Amino acid sequence: MNATATGIPLKEPAVSAVAGDTEQLERAYIDASTRVPVLMFYASAMAWLILGTLLAGFVSFKLHEPDLLSNISFLTWGRVRPAHMNVMVYGWASMAGIGTAIWLMARLCRTVLRYPLLLVAGACLWNLGVFLGIGGILLGDSTGYQWLEFPRYAAIILFVAYTLVASWAVLMFRYRRGEQIYITQWYLLGASLWFPWLYAAGQLMLFAVPVQGVLQTAVGWWYANNLLFLWFGAIALGTAYYMIPKVIGRPVYSYHLATIGFWTYALFSSWTGMQRLIDGPFPAWMITASIAATILTMIPVATVGLNHHMTMQGYFPLMRYSPTLRFTVFGAMSYTVFSVVGLLISLRSVASYVNFTQASVAYSHLGLYAFFTMVIFGSMYYIVPRLVGREWRYASLIKLHFWASAYGIGLMTLMLLVGGFSQGSSMENPTLAFSESVETVLPYLRGRSLAGILLTASHFIFAYHFGLMLLGLGRTSTVPTFLNPVEAETSGGH
Amino acid sequence: MNDEPKSPARIGQGMDYGEQADVQQVHAAVQREKREPRVGAEPLSIWLIAIYGLAIFFAGAYLGRYSGNFSSGGLDPMGAPPPAKKAAGGPAGGEQVAELSPRDRGKKIFAANCQTCHQATGQGVPGQYPPLAGSEFTNGGSRRMGMIVLKGLQGPVKVKGQQYGTAVMQPWDKTLTDQKIADVMTYERSDWGNSASPVTAEQVAALRKELASHPESFTEHDILAAPDEDIPGGGAPAGGAPPKPGEAAKPGQPPKP
Repeated sequence: MNATATGIPLKEPAVSAVAGDTEQLERAYIDASTRVPVLMFYASAMAWLILGTLLAGFVSFKLHEPDLLSNISFLTWGRVRPAHMNVMVYGWASMAGIGTAIWLMARLCRTVLRYPLLLVAGACLWNLGVFLGIGGILLGDSTGYQWLEFPRYAAIILFVAYTLVASWAVLMFRYRRGEQIYITQWYLLGASLWFPWLYAAGQLMLFAVPVQGVLQTAVGWWYANNLLFLWFGAIALGTAYYMIPKVIGRPVYSYHLATIGFWTYALFSSWTGMQRLIDGPFPAWMITASIAATILTMIPVATVGLNHHMTMQGYFPLMRYSPTLRFTVFGAMSYTVFSVVGLLISLRSVASYVNFTQASVAYSHLGLYAFFTMVIFGSMYYIVPRLVGREWRYASLIKLHFWASAYGIGLMTLMLLVGGFSQGSSMENPTLAFSESVETVLPYLRGRSLAGILLTASHFIFAYHFGLMLLGLGRTSTVPTFLNPVEAETSGGH
Repeated sequence: MNDEPKSPARIGQGMDYGEQADVQQVHAAVQREKREPRVGAEPLSIWLIAIYGLAIFFAGAYLGRYSGNFSSGGLDPMGAPPPAKKAAGGPAGGEQVAELSPRDRGKKIFAANCQTCHQATGQGVPGQYPPLAGSEFTNGGSRRMGMIVLKGLQGPVKVKGQQYGTAVMQPWDKTLTDQKIADVMTYERSDWGNSASPVTAEQVAALRKELASHPESFTEHDILAAPDEDIPGGGAPAGGAPPKPGEAAKPGQPPKP
């Protein structure tokens, strides 16, 4: 067969019949075309991940050793903590997510990547925006709203960078081939339109034409919570919808479930966020509407969870071999845990205990790490070998990465949740001074630092492995790097 | 099939997107991978629909119960719309509802400061902390009680025939304001079966001025040396006097519309 028959608008390659069917050839072209932009996003994301991890460790230790370097103004808690969060949110998570999204878009639109300069420029500007933003925060220019701390000059650059990437996504979608639009594309397109909505609304209502008084807090929390759902959550769910059926080679269980899951997710998630302000000076119905929406998010959770579970059914043993599948399924399961925990700590009766305690930190980490980051790790294990033409070098490093991440985030969530509950119940107790309620949470914070060390180790391992791949030092082999290679011989492809 | 070694110098040779050379050797990963995902069309399970129904039901019930009647000013999720809006009394009406009676305020202050020793029941702890319920000091004139609360008490003390005093009562004049001391005394003098006259902030202020030169805690001897009378200057005791504005006038009932 001949490549032009599939309509790939490229020069005819020298290989024709040898390489097998045209689908493979098409994929090879597409993968090659995505190499530079995707690796640019991935490599920047890895650098930010390492920086963010170091900052996180520093912040975590500061919570129980408050005097640590506290005489240096830009290393004080009030600056390092937002710096850590913003590095993770905009540096690591967003850039890695965009990297994966680019690759998936190109693959699923079944066309080679067009307008790569948009993406290259987007990546450079995005890095510049994050760099200026973090610098601004450390120098004391923070705006003070969670996840919107970047000063205005950085926010504008970030928005321009994002516009470049999003317009690329829309352009690519126009050039798609094939009639079907796969589920992953729904989520990715959704995310690419929701992010500018959230970001613009947040920036406009807080800084450009600020709303009055306490309403600013409402806008801030709406933004933070929805960034978690509509931006990170949507990318992660879309990725999981691709990776799971792809690796096990079986269709997604049900189209109907996917449709319901997608639309209810979009509809209900955007109403959440205000529940973080329970007992705050807001009309009760505002907060209750958000809680009710959080209850309703159980609908997409049950639907998407069931869809993934039924797709995986009978194929769970493959998680022993495939790194991608192991990370992705861990992340997909964490979506359920994240949502259920989110619902529990939103109900008024529980929230009166855990509101404004470490429990809400646990919730953010569940969403951004256990769910989103684990799915993205999984996708990187799948995508990077296809971009650099090498296989991952050490199965042992992948295993170490997985277990350090899994135990690290598990321990961290547990510590923060239990710590949050104990902190909340001592804050509730009128006979205890406030300072005592802070002391009750100290042992949990030390435990959290321990979990942080595990995560730090896992990130350094992954960064080292990723660096080897970038330098072309991966294995040259036709067999993928399985986690348990001997047993995997018979289990087929990846 | 695809066993020919890949060019080791592929990376870093200035190759770019849309690159041809390496595509010719289709990467093994692409060759072996499964086909692009498809979607099956299994129908919805009845159980899932039941879960949807349940979630919608609970969300609706929650919204109905805690909506505060969807009023723009209702901070209370359980509903009562702020009477201020109806009372046509302007902004002052709203504050009125929020304000607690001196006795209720006193109860909060008691819970935060006194309860640890004197207990929520006002019974104290035998041998250590004297009871407030039925105590002759609590039920007597407000002067003696005020002296104890303001300046504290140390050494042995006899209350209701029992000997106490292994613990020291701390002075509160530095910690609590006149208003708070008046409130907590009013509360203590009216709960647990006690029924003595309420105390006003003016009375406490007068007593505080009187005791200003007394630097340390009293002993039982000092207290018993003082007359068992109400502190003058308040006007609140003995019925007739009109209540001070902002005091005692609002026992927490919502105003009539």
